[in-house]
Amino acid sequence: MAGVSAGSKTGISYDARGLAEPDAEAPGTAEIDGGRARIDATDLTTRQINLELRRLIYGEGIADVTVVNPGSKHSLAVGILKRCQITFEGSPGWFACGLIDGPEVRIDGRVGWSCAENMMSGSIVVERSAGSLTGAALRGGDLVVKGDVGARTGIDQKGGTIIVTGSVGINTGFMMQRGRQIICGNAGNGLGDSMYDGTLYVAGRVASLGIDCVPGEWTDADAEVVERKFRIYGLGPPPEFQKFVCGKQLHNYDSLEPSERKLVI
Amino acid sequence: MSETTAPRSDTGARTVAIDAEQLAGKRFDYQSDMSLVEGIDLLAATPGDDINWLEDIELLEEDGVPAVFDRYSNSFIKIYFDIPEGRENEMARKVLVKHLMEGNSYGIILKDVHCKYEQVDLGPWVGEPRTVGTDWKPPVLEGWEPPAAH
Repeated sequence: MAGVSAGSKTGISYDARGLAEPDAEAPGTAEIDGGRARIDATDLTTRQINLELRRLIYGEGIADVTVVNPGSKHSLAVGILKRCQITFEGSPGWFACGLIDGPEVRIDGRVGWSCAENMMSGSIVVERSAGSLTGAALRGGDLVVKGDVGARTGIDQKGGTIIVTGSVGINTGFMMQRGRQIICGNAGNGLGDSMYDGTLYVAGRVASLGIDCVPGEWTDADAEVVERKFRIYGLGPPPEFQKFVCGKQLHNYDSLEPSERKLVI
Repeated sequence: MSETTAPRSDTGARTVAIDAEQLAGKRFDYQSDMSLVEGIDLLAATPGDDINWLEDIELLEEDGVPAVFDRYSNSFIKIYFDIPEGRENEMARKVLVKHLMEGNSYGIILKDVHCKYEQVDLGPWVGEPRTVGTDWKPPVLEGWEPPAAH
């Protein structure tokens, strides 16, 4: 990739793209075996890992990449916009797999804050627990956490499906705008606080509902989507869920807010 | 968008709508001819074992016309053919995927010029998209000098 540092009269150079490592290059250390590749992330920086992923997926056309020893490094596998399989053997840190559009990711470990933030499509399966803000601003696709998650799961969620087999913390679904969350365990205080739209399903105990979050009426469509997602991700027979939706008393889109409405469709 | 900055439609009337046709400067055949989208395989066009992100795509309405929203250009694609009853969302999804597969989404067209990083031009709805953004250079405004303080 061409360097893009720009100079100025004071001699201070900067990178117009805001990169911390503007001259980093893909290390080319992955082991490639046919259509699969394996990256050992032990001695690589975040940017090197991401560049190596891009080299393999975009440049080499490899559709199945495994990253070993991610070492809780932050912002791994962000912005991948192509159908592929990515596996992490170990735990990435914050903001893992943000902004992806297409990949099917399996994380054999835990994740920190904001996994899958702004995901557009694809799927992410986390085999253990996740931190707060999981699925923040999710736009589409499926995010499955086979453990517990922290606070504000799916904050500002604009689409897609979040499935948590364990429990969730406070303010889950805060300002949620579309999509659905399927929570098999308990939910903390303020479930669905200030939500605009979307659906929350909770199988366990809800500590308290947030402002304008109200119980919803269960329909055949709800049963279909829950059963289908459980079948796809091999989660066994679904438990019985309570459904919660927006009461439509707090926020409304009307003809005066067309641009705001477009932000959530 | 405020009243004063609202763009004008083809007829000159002020509008707050963002229309895919207006961005592209033309209407696409598949907006008017259902046979051009009937064959789209939504499962094949999406990751995983169901229609994934398309689950949230529904038939909406813009300017009184059935329309589907293209999140990649923040615009509506109006649908002019008669949609069979009970297939509203399916047809909306097929028109959107056709629009994306053909590379007609304005946000995607802009990638060729403005992409600063290596990435694919289309997206996960096609098998082997082209790579763009490998040789981005900061634009240079002729005659511009940086301010003395910088």
